[in-house]
Amino acid sequence: MSLDELELELRRLRGVLAVGFQEADGLLLVELQAGPDAYPELARDATLIANQGAVGPVAVEVVRWGDRGNASRDTRLRLVEITNDPAAAEIHVRLALEAAEGVGRASTGHGLLAPVEATVAAIRVFLPDLRFVAGWARLVETTPDRRFLVVASVTDPDTQEHRRGAAEGASPIAAASRATLAALNRTIAPDLAPLL
Amino acid sequence: MPEPTKTLVNGTLVDTARLGSGLGSIYRALDLVVDGYGLDDAALVVDVPGLGRQVLHAGRRPIGDDSTHLHDAADGLYTEPPLDEPVVQELLLALGALALRYDARPEPGVGPGIDPGEQGVA
Repeated sequence: MSLDELELELRRLRGVLAVGFQEADGLLLVELQAGPDAYPELARDATLIANQGAVGPVAVEVVRWGDRGNASRDTRLRLVEITNDPAAAEIHVRLALEAAEGVGRASTGHGLLAPVEATVAAIRVFLPDLRFVAGWARLVETTPDRRFLVVASVTDPDTQEHRRGAAEGASPIAAASRATLAALNRTIAPDLAPLL
Repeated sequence: MPEPTKTLVNGTLVDTARLGSGLGSIYRALDLVVDGYGLDDAALVVDVPGLGRQVLHAGRRPIGDDSTHLHDAADGLYTEPPLDEPVVQELLLALGALALRYDARPEPGVGPGIDPGEQGVA
């Protein structure tokens, strides 16, 4: 099965809006974005198709969205910008929840962990009781067109519970910040909903 | 006879449209727009009978947390930075609709064509 055939089969599944592929460390990650008419067994069916159509290990992630105007579309923090303050040796990450914005800061001396720390700090502007702290960030791939794939991890120090996310960006810093949001956005969505 | 305009004439895209799949043609077109206009990113949202509303992200890349809300965006070409080329946007939208309709034909045993530049899934 060609990649086109695999993608088309996945797009034929009811409710599928988008299909994306990403390869990292020999694993093919298949991401489905699904709308409100998606059915409960979508993940199972997509996994069967992906495993039949691909050679090698496959992971399927289904991102489900509610109706238009549903709160679920708005309970995700959005990365507005990342800036540097060279005088203070800090990186600033600005996040938004609809019109509200929050800025987190971290020392640039922490390398690729800095955008993770700054993103977590920005999330804390909205959720002061956030139990996760920055863990680590790792650049796993640089694409030929100079896009950077980063995996970021955050940890609850009390329970040692980890959340990991992967994202790409035009720079490792942007990718790390987006990866942090990918790690946490779904976890914190219920806590953000009352703020809307 | 005037010379053909080279701006949007790309052998790979035309070859894919002639011999390959609808999906492959859309992705080639998105790549061409991204490269040709020096964009960071592009995605096409198009609604067609048989498949419903579909979002195609350049490079077949995942949308992730979809901070730009493509999942509930109206039909159109979405680029970063925004591209002020209404004709290109309309052409891409038309190509996307036609290409997906082609792929979604309910003909038993007819799958997408062979993308000249596409390998099977590794």
